[in-house]
Amino acid sequence: MTSTIRRSSTVAIAVIFCGLLLFTFVRSGGNLGNFGITVLSGLFQGMLLFLVASGLSIIFGLMDILNLAQGTYFMLGAYVAYDIQHAGGVVDLTQTIPNPNVRFPLALIGAVLVGGVLGVVLERGLLRRLYSRPVFQLVLTFGVALVLTEAIKAIWTTTPYSWTEVFGLRTQTFELFGQAFSVYRLFIIGMGFLLIIGIALLLRRTRIGIIIRAGVEDSTMVEALGINVRAVFTLVFTLGCAVAALGGAVAAPFLGASSSLADAFLLQAVAVVVLGGMGSYEGSAVGSLMVGLAIAVAQDATIGTSLSVLPSITPMLVLILILLLRPSGLFGSTR
Amino acid sequence: MGQTLKRTLRENWLYALILIGLIAFPFIVGAITGSSPNGVPRGDRMIMRGESVRWQAVLIELFILSILAMSYNLMFGFTGVVSFGHALFFGLGGYILGLALEYVAMDTGVALVVGVLAGVAVCGVVGLLVGLVSLRLSGVYFAIFTLAIAEMFFIYFGRLPLTRAEDGFPITELPIWLDPAQSRLTFYYVALAFFVAVFLFIRRLMNSPTGAVFKAVRENEDRAQAIGYNTLRYKLIAIILAGMIAALAGMLQILLNKKVGPELLGISNTVNPLLMTIIGGIGTFTGPVVGASGLHLLDTILRESVITIGSLSIRIADVWELILGGIFMITVIIFPQGIVGTWQRRRGKRVG
Repeated sequence: MTSTIRRSSTVAIAVIFCGLLLFTFVRSGGNLGNFGITVLSGLFQGMLLFLVASGLSIIFGLMDILNLAQGTYFMLGAYVAYDIQHAGGVVDLTQTIPNPNVRFPLALIGAVLVGGVLGVVLERGLLRRLYSRPVFQLVLTFGVALVLTEAIKAIWTTTPYSWTEVFGLRTQTFELFGQAFSVYRLFIIGMGFLLIIGIALLLRRTRIGIIIRAGVEDSTMVEALGINVRAVFTLVFTLGCAVAALGGAVAAPFLGASSSLADAFLLQAVAVVVLGGMGSYEGSAVGSLMVGLAIAVAQDATIGTSLSVLPSITPMLVLILILLLRPSGLFGSTR
Repeated sequence: MGQTLKRTLRENWLYALILIGLIAFPFIVGAITGSSPNGVPRGDRMIMRGESVRWQAVLIELFILSILAMSYNLMFGFTGVVSFGHALFFGLGGYILGLALEYVAMDTGVALVVGVLAGVAVCGVVGLLVGLVSLRLSGVYFAIFTLAIAEMFFIYFGRLPLTRAEDGFPITELPIWLDPAQSRLTFYYVALAFFVAVFLFIRRLMNSPTGAVFKAVRENEDRAQAIGYNTLRYKLIAIILAGMIAALAGMLQILLNKKVGPELLGISNTVNPLLMTIIGGIGTFTGPVVGASGLHLLDTILRESVITIGSLSIRIADVWELILGGIFMITVIIFPQGIVGTWQRRRGKRVG
């Protein structure tokens, strides 16, 4: 039963991806440059979504919490990274560490730490009281998102920040079949793939990963085996928040740090997690890439036409279509 | 006859008192502040100036929010259907009435009637369609599906050249007797009438056999199905009714603001009724009204005030979101039953 479901959705996913690629290829009229740019742009947008969606997905999978503050943690990561990288703000490391290329990894680490610490605070301090009441958890995380956003505005003001330089990558472009593509976008694609592989290894190859996956299946049973599931919950929530903050820090040199970052990605990320099948990590990875590619194809196909609204509703359209065909998402179990 | 009336009055004396208070409200405020409830005449037009007129606008908004929250509660609190797409009906109702008034060459009075009927009808049909395709989804999938549909409409209307995209269009053709910028007192009573009608309708509905099935679906859908009810049909009815009532709220909103814009379809018109319902009390008749009134009055009163601590002065308007977030967090952790729910429970304990 399960294997047939897996197989049929693998076929469906393959068909959708091939269809999108074929459509782009035919449209580009054999011009490899245009085709390559569309595909790369799709990969880039998919990875950007995945940076927010991955944390949402692992948290939902184990704890059944749709963390609406996830977008805010993403934004927080961007601001913390900016703060560490540049002068002004809360800390100023430009004197102590003059090399910006050394400060960048520090910025990423700082974002992860701040995101993780605030994740622990949220889980231990507030969410823990509300297990088994999903709607209340939703409202609580929404309230946290509002408060955190205001706190960020208070600390870093509402003026958007844009980045100076990271390894000389930010403004560089490279040529692909005669078309220019930003190097930093390629860097984000790479980071996205690293994140996918890293978390997959953690879930598949480590003891804690096995416990998390078992907890997704049946957390009562895991608890009966003598494992402290509550502690695992805290760990996973922290991990999810830290990953979101890391995503924000990675994307910040490209997107800048502004107070609209949270809303810009949260809805699309939620859509991706749901269409991938709630709680399935592979699902949200495949879903991100699918939505990213669909957006890029829609952008390419409707540019300059009266249908230019299409790319912005594409994530929602893909979600609705997938849910109509498969009510529990691509990889969701039909419980 | 006299007996029943007496009994109804005895059981509902508080509601009757509040209703009388609301009817007299514009005149009471007018008498206290020495302002006319009709505004200030200038030539043959009226200027909406003075405390009474200002507070009428506040209460009209309160009625609109309450109607929206009550409609959400019908679905969410009484039937247990968690939808995140409620703004769709609110906005669609507003857009359809706006289009009928501004874009269809008809006498404004006729256009008003046609627009209201068409808006309610369309929202009913949309509710039916959305419900039919999405109700087989469960829990979070259903909630996010409805969110996606509402969000699509939001983005679409934000780009549609016909309705002037994200700027929206103003309402200019409105019968003078209903125009809130000319005869706000009449509009106040119209909004009040809708508010009372929706409240009574929901109370009547929930005390009917249909309402009992709604609650059964919320408590245990499988069991309701097992004893022979077609639960899908009842959930559909709840969604359609909630959608139609939300459409009415959206119509009042565009008439009050005299403007139609995509923000009507924005996610805040889903989140606000959800939070107001939770703060007031899920699945209670007065909860959504209490939640909406509390938040809206707090917002109105606090917005202009400034707190000074030493040399630091903070405008409440700047930190309003922070306060709001705090209220949500405190409510769900300390009063999960909401204001009315907690109060009813305390009172129930003392009596029982």
